[in-house]
Amino acid sequence: MNVVLASSSIDGGIGCWDLQTGAEQLRYKTCASPPHGLASIGCRFLACSQLRDPSAASGHVLYWSWSKPQAQVKSFPAEPIKPLAGNSEGSYIVGGGSSGDIYFWEVATGRLLKKWHAHYRAVTCLVFSDDDSLLISGSEDGCVRVWSLFMIFDDVRKQQASHLYEYSFTEHTLRVTDIVMGYGGGNAIIVSASEDRTCKVWSLSRGRLLRNVVFPSIIDAIAIDPGEHVFYAGGRDGKIYIAALNVESTPSNNYGLHIIGSLTDQSKPVTCLAYSAERNLLLSGSEDGMIRVWDVKTKNILRMFRHSKGPVNNILVVRLPYLLSRAEPKVQASSRRNEFSLHPPLEKYANSSDEDMDNRAIITLPDTIDLPSYLSSQLINDHIKQLQQQGSSAAAEMEVKRLKLDGQRSMEMFQQLKKVYDNLQEFCVNELLDGQAIEGSKGK
Amino acid sequence: MYDVGLKPPMLRNLIRQHLPSGNHPLNLNASCFELPKLVSILQTHRLLSESDSHSVDPKLINAWKSAVDDWLSCLLSLLSSDMSDKCWVGICLLGVTCQECSNQRFLTSYSVWLDKLLSHIQPPSDSQLVKIASCTSLSDLLTRLARFPEVKKDANSLAGKLIQPVLKLLNEDKVEAVWEGAASLLYALITLFPASIHHSYDKVEAAIASKILSGIYSDITLKKIGYCLALLPKSKGDKDSWSLMMQKFLISINDHLNEAFQGVEEEAKSNEARRLLVTPGKDLPPPLGGHTSLEGGSFNGTSSERLPTATISTLIFCCCKMLTSSYPVQVTAPVRSILALVERLLRVDGSLPHTMLPFMTSVQQELICSELPVLHACSLELLIAIIKGMRRQLLPHSAYIVRVITRYFKRCALPELRIKLYSIVRMLLLSMGVGMAIYLAPDVIDNAFNDLNSLGGEDFEISPANTGPALPQPSNRKRKHGTKTGSLEENQVGAHPKVGESNTHQMTPITVKIAALDSLELLLTVGAASKSDSWRSSIDNLVIRTAINSCKRGWGNVENNVFLPHESASAWADFQLSSLRTLLASFLAPARVRPPHLSQGLELFRRGKQEAGTKLAQFCGYALFALEVLIHPRALPLDDFYSADGVSNRFSENTYTDSQKQNTLFFSVAQTTEQGAIKSHDDLYNKWLQNEVENENIADENMKDKTSRPNDSSLGNVLEVSEQEPAAADADVHMRNEDEIVVQPRRIEEPIPKSQEIVSANAVTSPPAVGTNLEGGEIESQTALSACDRLNDTDHDMLSGVDKVDFNTIGGKTSSTLPNAEKGSSSMAHLESESSMDSFPDIVDADPDTDTDCESI
Repeated sequence: MNVVLASSSIDGGIGCWDLQTGAEQLRYKTCASPPHGLASIGCRFLACSQLRDPSAASGHVLYWSWSKPQAQVKSFPAEPIKPLAGNSEGSYIVGGGSSGDIYFWEVATGRLLKKWHAHYRAVTCLVFSDDDSLLISGSEDGCVRVWSLFMIFDDVRKQQASHLYEYSFTEHTLRVTDIVMGYGGGNAIIVSASEDRTCKVWSLSRGRLLRNVVFPSIIDAIAIDPGEHVFYAGGRDGKIYIAALNVESTPSNNYGLHIIGSLTDQSKPVTCLAYSAERNLLLSGSEDGMIRVWDVKTKNILRMFRHSKGPVNNILVVRLPYLLSRAEPKVQASSRRNEFSLHPPLEKYANSSDEDMDNRAIITLPDTIDLPSYLSSQLINDHIKQLQQQGSSAAAEMEVKRLKLDGQRSMEMFQQLKKVYDNLQEFCVNELLDGQAIEGSKGK
Repeated sequence: MYDVGLKPPMLRNLIRQHLPSGNHPLNLNASCFELPKLVSILQTHRLLSESDSHSVDPKLINAWKSAVDDWLSCLLSLLSSDMSDKCWVGICLLGVTCQECSNQRFLTSYSVWLDKLLSHIQPPSDSQLVKIASCTSLSDLLTRLARFPEVKKDANSLAGKLIQPVLKLLNEDKVEAVWEGAASLLYALITLFPASIHHSYDKVEAAIASKILSGIYSDITLKKIGYCLALLPKSKGDKDSWSLMMQKFLISINDHLNEAFQGVEEEAKSNEARRLLVTPGKDLPPPLGGHTSLEGGSFNGTSSERLPTATISTLIFCCCKMLTSSYPVQVTAPVRSILALVERLLRVDGSLPHTMLPFMTSVQQELICSELPVLHACSLELLIAIIKGMRRQLLPHSAYIVRVITRYFKRCALPELRIKLYSIVRMLLLSMGVGMAIYLAPDVIDNAFNDLNSLGGEDFEISPANTGPALPQPSNRKRKHGTKTGSLEENQVGAHPKVGESNTHQMTPITVKIAALDSLELLLTVGAASKSDSWRSSIDNLVIRTAINSCKRGWGNVENNVFLPHESASAWADFQLSSLRTLLASFLAPARVRPPHLSQGLELFRRGKQEAGTKLAQFCGYALFALEVLIHPRALPLDDFYSADGVSNRFSENTYTDSQKQNTLFFSVAQTTEQGAIKSHDDLYNKWLQNEVENENIADENMKDKTSRPNDSSLGNVLEVSEQEPAAADADVHMRNEDEIVVQPRRIEEPIPKSQEIVSANAVTSPPAVGTNLEGGEIESQTALSACDRLNDTDHDMLSGVDKVDFNTIGGKTSSTLPNAEKGSSSMAHLESESSMDSFPDIVDADPDTDTDCESI
C-alpha cells in the first residue's frame, strides 16, 4: 500500500494517508521538521530531524516505527541537523549540519562513520543517487556538490585528491532549496532549485550546466516526471510550474523560456512536491497546511489531505512493507519489528580509535531459502549404480553378507541333517542291539 | 494412461513384479536394478497419492486404499527382513513413499515409519548401504513432516530422538559414505527442526569439528558436514552463537595458517591477524568443537609432508556458508578480521621473504606452492561471500577490498583465479554502482586488454600448432645474427621478453576471456557515463574487434559434439555470446557521438539472428530490438499530455526543439538528427507525407524558425548575462548558415543518393522515402544543420580539437559518399562543409549557452 507522509514546521505530527483510498492512517506524534528533514529509511522506519530553537547546541533526530505513534528512538547529534536522507537499503543515514558538515551514520550500530566539511554554510538538501553510490548536497551558499561515497571512505585516495567532491556546481547565487535526480545512473541529470528564482539542470556525466530556467517566483520544491519529459516546480506564488526537459516548448508564453504551463489552485506558496510514479500523481504541500493530489494529465486536483494549520514542508510517498500494510501479526513480522527497538541512537562523535567496533558490522544476512529436498529416488539411482559396478565395496559387502547368511543357513541345515542322521543311527544301533538281545534271549 | 481406475491394479502389478516377496532370496540383477524404473512409474502416475481430483467413486477409493495398504505391508515386511539387501529395498521405497503418499496416510503412520527406520541406523544393523538409505529416508520423512505445522510439537520430539543415533553414526562409524548420509539427515534436522538440536548443540559441534580438523577425508564429505556445522547456530537462533561460531572458525583457520605458512611469511603477519581476531583483554573462546580439536589434529605429526589444506578450505567454506545463509536475527560480523584473513592468504605466493631463507627446505616450499592455488581460490570465495552477505554495508570497507583486488589482479595468472577475480569485480561494480566504477575502471580495462588481446583460443589456426614453432624462429634467427654481428645484440635482448610474453599470452583460456568480456560489459553499463573519456574509444575498438574475431569462423554450437565434454563444446558459443553482449553494451552505453562501429555491429547481430534456435539468435534478436531505440530515440510524453496542454505540435517546431535538444546534450548527434521527426508522437508516417507536400513551406518555415531561435536562446540567458551583442552575432551566424543550406536544394539537381546515405540509419524503418529532389534536400539541410549545431555544443563542453576531428570525419563521410552522386551534389557537399567550417569559429565565440564563454567575451 502506498501511503503519503507529511510533516510540518509547526508541530502537527506526521500525517499518514492511504494514497489509494484517502483514508487517514496512524498519525506519528510530536514532529516539527525542517524542509527535507523527513526520510523513510529503507521503508523500515521513519526518521525525521527536528527544528530546535536557535540557542540549542545539539541537533535532534527522531525515529518512528511504522506501527507506533510515539517516537521510539531519540538522538542528539553534535549540531542542528536539517536535511536527512537514507540510502535505499536503509543501512545508512546522512544528515546535513548547519555548519556545512555532512554526517554519515550507520543505522544498525548508530555509529558516526564519517563526518566531512562539505559546504561553507548550512546544508539544505541531501539526495542519494539511484545506486546509492553518489550523494548530492545543496547548501545555503548556493553550491551543489556531488560526492562519491566510495571516495569519502577511501582514506588513501582522499589524501591524494585535491578535493573530496566529484563535482561542485557553483552557478546558483543564492540558497539551494531543492534537488532532485533523474534516471540513468551515471548519465542522469540533476535538477536544483534556488532562491535566485532559477532551476538549473546539470549533467552528472559531464559535470556541467545543461539548462537554466528562470521562474517568475522563488522555487522551493521540485519534482521530476519519471519519463523526464518535464519537471514540476512549486513556487512561492502558489503556482506549480511545468518546465520542459525533453519536450519542445513554444518560444513565446506567459512565464518564460522552457516553462510550458502551470498548475494553480489560488493557494498559498507551494512548499514541497512529491511524485507518485505508480499512478502519475503529483502531490504538493502548501503553506496553508493542505496536501493536494494532482492528476498531471488533466491538471485537476483529485484529492486534498488536511495536515495541520501550519505549513507542510515535507511529503513522502512510501510503499509500506507488505506485512505491515496487511497488519497481520505474523511471527516473523513481530520478530522483525522487535528488532526495531534495537536500533541504537545516532552517535554524536566518531570515535575511530575503537578498532574493535570497526571490525564489527551488524548485518542482516541475505534471505536465502534453502530447504532440504526429497532425496530417496536419487539415492536409489546412486546406490543401484554402485551395485552395478560389482567392484564397489558396498556391493561386495552386501554380497558377503548374503553369502554369510547363506552359509549360516547351510550350516544349520547341515546340523539338522546331522542330527537326523545321528538319531537314525542311534535308532538303528538300538534296534540292532535290541534285536540281538531278543534273539540272544530267545536263543538262550 | 489417464484412467484413474487403472491405478490400483497398476500398483498391485508393481508389487507383484518388482517387490521381492516372502523368503525367497533376492536376485540382485533381476529386481534391484529395476527399482529406478519402479520409482519413476510410481512418481509419474502418482500411484500412491490415493486421490484424484476428477473421481470420487467410493469403490475406486477403497480399491486404491487397499492396494496402498498392501504396498505398505509389503514394504514393512521387507524392512524387518534380516537380509540387508531386502531391507535396503524396503527402506529406499519407504523414503519414496514418504514423499508420494497422501497427507492422511502420512499423518497416521509417520511415527511408525520413523521408528522402523530409526532401528536401522542403530547398532545391530551393520550394512553401510542400509544405514545410508535409512538416513536419507528419514530426512525425506522429516522434509514431509515439516510441511504440517499442526503436528509440530510431536514432530519436534520425534526429531529429538534422532539426534543421538546420528551423533553415534558420526562418531563411531568408520565409513565416509555413512557420514554423508548422517550429514544429510543432520542438515534436515537443523533446517527443519532447529529446536530439536538445541540440547546437543555442543556434541554435534564436537563431532563435526573433529572430522573437519582431522582433514583426511574427501572434499565432498567435508563440505557436507561443514555445511551442517555452519548452519548449526540456527538451532539456537541468537546473535551470540552465530558470532561465537564465526569467531571459532576464524581462529581455527588462523591457527592452521600459522602452521602452514611457517617460513613463507613474516611472523608479524600472523600476530597481527591474531590481534584482530581476539579483542585484547577478552577471553579466548573455546576452540572449535571443544576438546576434540586436539585429538582431531592428527595433522600435527605429519605436517611436514602434508598441509592442512583440506581443513582450511573446509573451514573457509563454512565461513562462506555462514555469511550467505539466512539467519533469523541480525548478526555481528567481524568484517575486518575476515578481510584481513583474505588479504593474508592472497599475500602469500610461495616466494620466501629474505629473512626466512635459511629455515625453509625446498621440499616445504614446493609443498606450499602446490597447495596455494586451492587456498587462494578459497580466500576469493570468502571475499565473494562477504560481499554477498554485507551488500551495501560494505561501503566503509570497499576501498580496502578494491586495493586488495587490484593488487592481486596484477600478480594473478591462474585462469580459474582470474575468473573468480573478474566475478568479484563484477559484483563490486554492480553493488557499489557508479562511484565504484570510476575507480575500478583502469584496472578492469588493463586486465581485460591483456586477456582479450592475447591469441589463445580465439584463432584455432594460428594458435599452438602454428605460432608455437613459428614464433621462436625469428628469435633464433636473430640470435644467429646476434652471434654473427654484435650490433644486433640489443635487438636480441629486446626480442626475448617479447617472445616469452606472447607465449604466456597464448595460454589465456577462453573462459578467462569470457569473464573479461562480462566484466567489460558491466563496466560499460555501469560506468560509461562518468569520466570515461580516456578509455572509451579504445574499449569500443577492442570490443568490436573481439566480436568480429569471435564470429568470423561461424557460430559455435552448444550441443554439437558428443565426443567433447559438454563444457568445452559450449565454451565457444558462450564466448560469442559474451562478446556480442559486450558489443551491445558498448553501443548502448552513453556516449557523445554515434558508436563508431554501429554498422558492423548491426551486421553481426543480423547474421547472428539467423541462427535459429540458439541462445545467440535469441540474444541477437534482443540486441536489434534494443538498438532500435538508439537509432530512433524517443522521449515519450505522458499519454495525451499535449492535448491537455494545448501545446501545438507542428512539424515546423521539430527543428527548433531539435536544436534545443542539442543544447541540452541529452543525446548524441546520430540520435538528434532523427529526433525531431520521431518526437512528434502521433504518426511518423503523416509527418513524412506532410514533409513531402509542404516541402516548400517547410523550407520557409525552417528559415523563420532558425531566425527566431537564436533570439530565443539568447533571451533565456539575458537575465543571467545581459549581453545582447554576442547573441545578435550568433543570430547572424545562424542566419547566414541557414541561408546557405536551405537554398542549396534549389541549386542542386539530384542529391538523393547522398541524403539517403546520411539518414541510412533511419531508412531501415522509415516509410519508403519519396525521392523528389526537394525532399532529399530538406533532409540534407536538417542533417547539415544539426551537424553544425552539434559542433556548436560539443565545442563548449570539450573546448578542444576533438570536435574538429569529429567534424572532419563527418565532412569526410559526406564527401566519401559523393562518388556516386553527381557533380552538382559534390559541389554542394563542398559548399556545405565549407560553410560549416566558416560558421564554426563564429559559433564558438558567440554561443549563448555557456555563461563562461559569454562572460569571457
